Amino acid sequence: MKSPWIFHLNTGSCNGCDIEIVAAFTPRYDLERFGCLLVGSPRHADVLLVTGPVTRQMLPRLIRVYEQIPEPKVVVAVGTCASSGSPFLGSEMVEGPVDRIIPVDAYIVGCPPRPEAIARGIIMAVMSKFR
Amino acid sequence: MVVKRSTERTEKEVEYTRLRIPFGPVHPALKEPVLLRISVRGEEIIDVDMTLGHVHRGIESLAEGRNLIQTLYLIERICGICSHSHTTCFIQALEEIGSIIPSERALYLRTLIFEMERIHSHLLLLGVMAYEIGFDTLFMFTWHVREKILDLFEKITGNRIHHAMNTIGGVRWDLTSQMAGEVKAYMREIEKSTKYIHSAFTDGTVEKRICNLGVLDYNDAIKLCVVGPTARGSGVNIDVRKDHPYAAYDELKGDFSVITRKDGDVYARTEVRIFEVFESINIIKAILDRLPNGSIRPEENVFRIMKRIPEGEAVSLVEAPRGELLYFVKTDGKGGLIRLKVRTPTFSNLLSLKRMLVGCEIADIPVIVASIDPCLSCTNRVTIINQEKGKSKVIDMDSLRRMVRRKWMRR
Amino acid sequence: MDAAIAFLISPPAVLLISLLFEGIDRKIHARMQKRIGPPVTQPFYDLIKLFSKERIVPITASARVFETMPMIAAAVSLLGASILLSNILSGSSVIGDLILVMYLLAMSSVALMIGGSASGNPYGVVGFSRKMSMMIAYEIPMFIAIISVAFGSSPSLAINNIIRFQISLGLPLAASRPSMALAAATFLLCMPAAASVVPFDIPEAKTEIIYGFLIEYGGPYLALAKIAKAVSNFALTLLASAVFLYVPLLLGENVLLNLGISLSLCLIESLLIMFVTITVPRTVLARLKIGQAFKFYWMLPLILSISSIILSSVGL
Repeated sequence: MKSPWIFHLNTGSCNGCDIEIVAAFTPRYDLERFGCLLVGSPRHADVLLVTGPVTRQMLPRLIRVYEQIPEPKVVVAVGTCASSGSPFLGSEMVEGPVDRIIPVDAYIVGCPPRPEAIARGIIMAVMSKFR
Repeated sequence: MVVKRSTERTEKEVEYTRLRIPFGPVHPALKEPVLLRISVRGEEIIDVDMTLGHVHRGIESLAEGRNLIQTLYLIERICGICSHSHTTCFIQALEEIGSIIPSERALYLRTLIFEMERIHSHLLLLGVMAYEIGFDTLFMFTWHVREKILDLFEKITGNRIHHAMNTIGGVRWDLTSQMAGEVKAYMREIEKSTKYIHSAFTDGTVEKRICNLGVLDYNDAIKLCVVGPTARGSGVNIDVRKDHPYAAYDELKGDFSVITRKDGDVYARTEVRIFEVFESINIIKAILDRLPNGSIRPEENVFRIMKRIPEGEAVSLVEAPRGELLYFVKTDGKGGLIRLKVRTPTFSNLLSLKRMLVGCEIADIPVIVASIDPCLSCTNRVTIINQEKGKSKVIDMDSLRRMVRRKWMRR
Repeated sequence: MDAAIAFLISPPAVLLISLLFEGIDRKIHARMQKRIGPPVTQPFYDLIKLFSKERIVPITASARVFETMPMIAAAVSLLGASILLSNILSGSSVIGDLILVMYLLAMSSVALMIGGSASGNPYGVVGFSRKMSMMIAYEIPMFIAIISVAFGSSPSLAINNIIRFQISLGLPLAASRPSMALAAATFLLCMPAAASVVPFDIPEAKTEIIYGFLIEYGGPYLALAKIAKAVSNFALTLLASAVFLYVPLLLGENVLLNLGISLSLCLIESLLIMFVTITVPRTVLARLKIGQAFKFYWMLPLILSISSIILSSVGL
C-alpha cells in the first residue's frame, strides 16, 4: 500500500512523541514523500498512531477511535509509554499499555523515538501488514 | 397569557438554534486531549464548558513511591516541551532542602538549556498557530527552524526532547568551546529566521485572523491570575526571571528585558513570544561570553548526594516558557518523597479561555486555544493519597518495578 | 473528431488528467514548502487504497442519502467535465453547454454537502452551513461573469462558438475587450473558492471543523468525493483556459488544425491556471473566516462582474 493515512491519538502522552510525529511531516523528514498524510478524522485513516500510556479517561475514546477506522487498519504504538507503559506503570490512573486494550501491529520504542524511527516504524508496519 | 406564550417560544427558539459542538478531546487542532463543550448559534459562540483530566497519569502519587533520582526522570516526563523547566524547578527545591550550592558554571549551563528550551517552545507554538489558521507553509518553515535548536540540544545533551541535563547539585554534561562556537553560529541563523517569521505574522491574511481576537484586558488578566506570555500580552509585567531570579538570572538581569504588550489579543500574545525569542538569544549570547570555569557537578555518584538530602520541605519557582511554574517538595530524609505538588502555568491560564472565547466564532476556537499555548500534559495531575503498595503476589512487571525501587532505596 | 467517439473517450481521459493534475499540484505545493513531496501518481494510489477499504455508514446517518450522494457528486462532475472536453474535441457546438457545465459542477458540490449533512455529525452540519454561504458568495459573481461572456462574444452560450469567435478575432477573449478582461479576472478570483482551497477552504477546514461535511465519509465514499473534487477542479481550469484564454490561436493556423497539439497546449495552459489560482494561494495564504471571505467575494469579484456585464452590454 502506497498511501498510509495516519490518525494520531494522544492517550496521555507527555507531548514528546506527539511533537516528534508532527516533526516527521516537516521538511527535514517529510513523511508525505511516502504518501503518508496526517488526517483529522478516524474515518479517513489507515494507520492509528497511539502515544501515551492510556489514561482512564482516554480508554473509551481509544476503543471508539479504533472501531471508527475502516478495515484494513494498522495500529502502531509510538514511544515507550504506549509500548510498555514504562515510567507510568503502577499508577492507578493508567490502564495501558496499548496492547492490553487493542491489538498492536508495531512498537516504536524510545522516549521519544526520533522522527526517522517513527517513519521507519510506520512504513515497516504497513509493508508487513499489506504484503 | 399572551406574554407568557411568547417568552416560551423565544426560549424554545433559542434552544433550537443552539448547536452543541464537542471540541475535542480528539481533534486535529489539539495535539493533546481536552474537551471543550461549545454552544453556538450560527457561527457565534455563546457558551463554553471545559473538561480536563484526559491526560491525568497520577504522576504526583507515583512520585511519592519513588526515590529522588527516579522522580527526577518521572517529572521530566510531565511534559515533553518544557521538561527542563520541570527538572530545574524540582532540583532547585531539593538543593534548597539539602543546602547544596551548585557551581557557577553549572548554573550558567542550566540557564543556557533553559533559554534554548524557551526558543524551542516558542517556535513550536508559532508553528502551531500558523497551522491552526491554515497557513501550512509558515508552519513548515517555523518547524524547520526549530529543528536547528533540536540539533543543538542533541549535540549538548544527547537528546532531542527529554534532555536529562539536570542532576542534583549541577548538570550532567559540559559545554566544550567548540560547541559554544556552534551555538553562537546557530543563534545568528535563528535570529534571522525569526525576523522572517515575524514579518510573515504581520502579513495580510494572517493579521486578519489573529488581530482583535480573544481579547483579555489588563483587569481580567489580574483577576484570572494568568501567567507568562498570556499575562504579558495583556500588559501585566510579571516574569519570575526578573522578580525572583534563580539559576544565573541574577547576574544576567541586565541582558534581557520583559516584553509586554497592551492589546491583550491573540496577536499581542504571539508578538510577545516572537520578541521573547530575541531576548532569549541575547541571554544565550551573554551566557556564552561570560561562561565561568569550574566543575559542573559536585560528585559523580548522584545516589550519595541523594542520600545527603535531609528531611524538609521547599517551594521553588521558575519561569517556564508558558509562565510561572511552582513546585512544592517535601522529602523524607531517606532519599524519598513524602509529598510533591506541581502547579503548572497552563492550569492558571486555562480558565481565561472562557472569557476569550465567548462572542467569537467557531473558526476562532483553535486560534484562541493555541494562543495561550496550552500544555495539557502539564496540567492534568490530581493527587491520590491512597496508595496500596505490594498487594499482589504474582510477579508481574509492576511488582518487579517495586522490587527494583526498594533495592535503590536500600543503597 | 466524431462527437460520439469524443464523448466515449473523454470520461476516462478526464479522470486520468484530473488526478494527474492533483498530483502535480501536491508535488509543487510540497516543493514550495522545501519538501520532497509525494510522487505525481500519488492520487491514484490514494484512490486504489480507498476503494479497497471497508464501507462504514454511521448509525446517526440517514443511510440512503449518505450513501448515494458521493456517487451523484462524482457522476455529475465527471459528466460536466466530459461534456466540456468532448465538445472541445469534437468541435460540435451545443447551445447552452456553457451553462450546463457550470450547473453540473455546482451540483456536484451541492450533492456532497447534502450527503455530509446527512451524516448526523455536528461538524457536518457546520460544514454544510459554511459551504452554503460560500456558494452564495462565489457562485453569483462566477455566473455573472459567464453571462457577461455570453453577451460579449458572438453572442452565444456554446463553448465552441466562443472558441471560434476567439479564433476569428485572433485574440484570446480576455485580451479582446475590457469587459471580457474583467469577466476573466472575476472567474479566476472565484476559482480558489470553487476548488475550496486555502484561503477559502472554510467549509472543509481541517483544524476548525475536521473536513466539515467529509468528516464521516471513509473508504469508497471518500474516494468518490475526492474524484468529484479533482474532476471539478480540472473542469474549471479547462473551462477558464478554453473560454477566456484560448492560447493556441496565437501560434497560427497549423497549430489550430492539429487537434492534438492545440488540445495539449490548452491542457498545459489549464495547468498553469491551476498553479496560479489553486497551488499558489494555498501555499502562501492563511485561511480566512467565513465573514471575511463573504465580504471579499461580495466586494471585489461582484463589482468586477457587474461592471463587466454593464460594459459588455454597451459593447465595450
